[in-house]
Amino acid sequence: MGAFLARSAIQKFITLFFVSVISFLIIHLAPGEPSQIDPLNPKFTREVLERFRKEFHLDKPLHVQYLYFYRDLLAGRSVSWKDNRPVLKKIYERFLNSLPLFILGTLITWTLSFPVGIHAAIRRGSFYDRSTAFLAYLLISIPGFFFAYILIIFVVTRFHVPVIGMATFGLSQKGTLIPLMDRVWHLLLPSVLFAAGGIAVLSRYVRNQMLEVEGQDYVRTAKAKGLPAEKVHYRHALRNALLPFVTMFGLILPGLLGGSIIIESFFSWPGMGRMAYEAILARDYPVILTVNFISAILVLIGTFISDLLYMVVDPRIRL
Amino acid sequence: MEMNRKDGTALPEGGVLEAPRRTLFQENWHLFKKNRLALAGLVIFIIFFFVAAAGVFLTSGIDPVFNPALVRLQEKLRPPLSKPNLETLKPEEVPTLGIYLFGTDDLGRDVFSRMLQGAWVSLTVGFVAVGIAVVIGVILGGIAGYYGHRQIRLGHLLAAVLIGGGTIGILSGRTAAGVLMVLFGAAVSAILIRMEDSKGRGPIATGLPVLFLNLFSADVLITGLVDIMLCFPVFFLILTVVALLPASMYNIMIVIGLTSWMGSARFIRAEFLSLREQDFVTAAKALGVSDWRIIFRHMVPNAMSPVLVSATIGIASAILIEAGLSFLGFGVPPPHATWGNILSSGKDFLFDAPWLTFVPGFAVLTVVLAFNLFGEGLREVLNPKLRER
Amino acid sequence: MGSSMNIQSSIRVPENGPLLSVQDLKVFFHSDGKISRALDGVSYEVRAGETVCLVGESGCGKTVSALAILGLVPQPPGEIHGGEILFKGKNLLTIDEETLQGLRGKEISMIFQEPMTSLNPVFTIGDQIEEAIMVHEAVEKAEAHRRAIELLTDVGIPSPEERAKDYPHNLSGGQRQRVMIAMALACKPDLVIADEPTTALDVTIQDQILHLFRDLKEKRHMALLYITHNLSVVAEIADRIYVMYSGTIAEVGNVEHIFRDPFHPYTMGLLASLPSRTRKGQSLYSIPGAVPDPAYKPHGCPFNPRCPYVQESCRAEFPEMCDFGDDHFARCPITYRRRKRPLNNEEDNP
Repeated sequence: MGAFLARSAIQKFITLFFVSVISFLIIHLAPGEPSQIDPLNPKFTREVLERFRKEFHLDKPLHVQYLYFYRDLLAGRSVSWKDNRPVLKKIYERFLNSLPLFILGTLITWTLSFPVGIHAAIRRGSFYDRSTAFLAYLLISIPGFFFAYILIIFVVTRFHVPVIGMATFGLSQKGTLIPLMDRVWHLLLPSVLFAAGGIAVLSRYVRNQMLEVEGQDYVRTAKAKGLPAEKVHYRHALRNALLPFVTMFGLILPGLLGGSIIIESFFSWPGMGRMAYEAILARDYPVILTVNFISAILVLIGTFISDLLYMVVDPRIRL
Repeated sequence: MEMNRKDGTALPEGGVLEAPRRTLFQENWHLFKKNRLALAGLVIFIIFFFVAAAGVFLTSGIDPVFNPALVRLQEKLRPPLSKPNLETLKPEEVPTLGIYLFGTDDLGRDVFSRMLQGAWVSLTVGFVAVGIAVVIGVILGGIAGYYGHRQIRLGHLLAAVLIGGGTIGILSGRTAAGVLMVLFGAAVSAILIRMEDSKGRGPIATGLPVLFLNLFSADVLITGLVDIMLCFPVFFLILTVVALLPASMYNIMIVIGLTSWMGSARFIRAEFLSLREQDFVTAAKALGVSDWRIIFRHMVPNAMSPVLVSATIGIASAILIEAGLSFLGFGVPPPHATWGNILSSGKDFLFDAPWLTFVPGFAVLTVVLAFNLFGEGLREVLNPKLRER
Repeated sequence: MGSSMNIQSSIRVPENGPLLSVQDLKVFFHSDGKISRALDGVSYEVRAGETVCLVGESGCGKTVSALAILGLVPQPPGEIHGGEILFKGKNLLTIDEETLQGLRGKEISMIFQEPMTSLNPVFTIGDQIEEAIMVHEAVEKAEAHRRAIELLTDVGIPSPEERAKDYPHNLSGGQRQRVMIAMALACKPDLVIADEPTTALDVTIQDQILHLFRDLKEKRHMALLYITHNLSVVAEIADRIYVMYSGTIAEVGNVEHIFRDPFHPYTMGLLASLPSRTRKGQSLYSIPGAVPDPAYKPHGCPFNPRCPYVQESCRAEFPEMCDFGDDHFARCPITYRRRKRPLNNEEDNP
């Protein structure tokens, strides 16, 4: 088992290396110059341009730039080209903002999907099954921002719940309860949005897994032994059906960065997704590359955890 | 005892009725039809296809039947089904049907015409992007699955680098050096081929064993590539590339295609790995059928079902991605209409002109839903493990 | 001619009553607008302590009848269209689910055909056997464990203590089937239904499993309903045989009677196709034609398209069971007319 994990870890480092190279190449091979040194901007004189170029090593060949960049990144010294602040610090601040959104959204997703999916599988073909199916498809198919509009219109006009931003601007209440409630309200809608698509996909997947397992011979054996229905479904079938989800658990980690770009833009939520978006607009290479790098690390850690969990949970996989 | 068919008619006396024979396609189609939602999805897709095709004809050219680009500032933000103000309009500016079917946008353009024009874009983006993804995925997945154990050797790498570098050299002007490198690369390849044929014997083979050094297998190479691509957050990557490249429909399609092939590759690789061990493949090999034929005629048809399912769902998600990109401002450039950028223009007029949001929003929702339902229906039919019996 | 033949539509019930009596069971499957008549009025019985073999080709409905006994037929798409299943006098088709659960594994056990997939891959085999015990009997885990080890020894698994901690994928097919047998016997049932338990195994293992069944039967005095398509297996262990064809019973009788002198043309065909019946150099016999699709059965006797003795009456109406004496019945009036037993004082009417 240890040998497998060691090999896996080495593979992941190699992958990380290639990811860093490829993302670097993508950015630098694209036409255009980064924001601060826009040659068309009249404010920049020739000397200023030259100075900037030297400063950011843009005059050196690509592989040297690569080394400089990643040295800075790993040492924590890389600096945003947009506002000169250290990249890692920027990311960390935004990360703290994204985190509650992510946690709440993921929690909602996972706690709702399983009961819904399992129930739909046990009562296959029933009204419950078919209506949850339709709802799921609807949620998957709706464009995120459209759904956001509908939610906003509905929620704002009916409930007068504040929506935009993380907290109500100018809220002057002291104390902890009111501001906390305020933050929770602001958190609710984006989290629901974040969770919506996830619930739709995950619950269908749970249902299908349960169905597949329920059709297996060993479930029939369990019934033939005289086990009551709950034991058959929840002890024998579910335990097998859940196996692939244990591995999926490891993969939610990359979601931290993932599909939140649109949600955050929409709700003006100052999170990582939005920062990434702004960095792209401004061609802020250090930020873009760092975000990419971190995302890759998250994916690799996530898959590593999945592999580990899978080995723990499935007795057939003991390497 | 009476043997009756379900409709009550008795079988002919003494006759033996044979079960009707159906091809696999007919069998699947029959099962598929029973799923009303999936059937509805297919029907909606077909309707959408015709609308989009018609839309291209009706909105292109100098004087199209429905003009999506005609700006009538005096008519801006009119609600759907409103009549045009005939006094302020020139005769050629009056909308074709006599009313603004879906209203007008902030520049007075007829939303209905723009929707027609945009339909084709959504369709094309979806299909081409997914087409690219599937082709890449099937090729790479197939190689990984079937030839996975073949080793990539040092010589291969050397030849690839030489030829690749040489081509770049030629293209960027350094012709002499480039040509030299390509020739070297060709020589190395030739040596390698001789070596593989003679299986390590003969003067050439024993002379350059280092070229034959095994590096890693083709499977490792391709799955490594898949892993690398999976590390990139997809939407972020698409956004990055689209933001950096000049905006165009083709760039978007290609980028979406280049970032979504991983799923198909994995499916095909998994299916090929298991199919390769099956008896019908061994039987074909024993009969002397060539590898090529085995792959395309025998294995691919069997392996295609998960790819088909993920392709239909991929089209749906490609359409959503395009809409998302347009929303953020990176989609197909104006004045070409896409459903995404109509939605995006509606962003600022949410309460004043909600139809600018709802019309394209519902349109996208319906088409994407149709695709998803169709894809799910396909999956239920093609996956025997999920069937009732 | 017609009415005075000693015809019986159900088997005579002896005084002390059989342990299991399936009577006129009809099970249909609905799919795709078709109705598949998997069981078209099947009757058989198993007496206490005897071994009954249900013989037939794939698709004749034998497994479905076994599943129906334990209430394991999925409904939909299945549908129990009629008949009764009497176990110790109670009709299993009408009792409630809870009582049925009490019977399953405790008084009637079933062993399935596919040992490779019939055990849950994520629990140890010891766990699964103990579960079979603890669901019916109020014993402590330690006691259940002890009994599980005993059972593993009984079914011939070496080093049972270690094996009990294994997972199914650590065991071979033959060993898994032994585990299934151990699970089935855990609560000392009165009736064990074995559905082609050796079909998926090597012939050598098959032999061992058969021996195991014989030994266990002797020790535990249980009734065994053994479903198979393999006639040589039948010859080894059966007391009585029911031959099934296309959802109906074609012939029933004592094992020696059937093998020595079959009366139904289908049984005759089955026996004739045994390799041992063919002399060296002759080609092997096989019954022409194929088993009918359960949704498209022929009119009259289901075997008529393939029968060498077929007559018009066979196509016209479904034949009744004929009593040939000595508890030997066959559903073929043609044979009956040709062979009529001396017990009958019927005129021979060509």
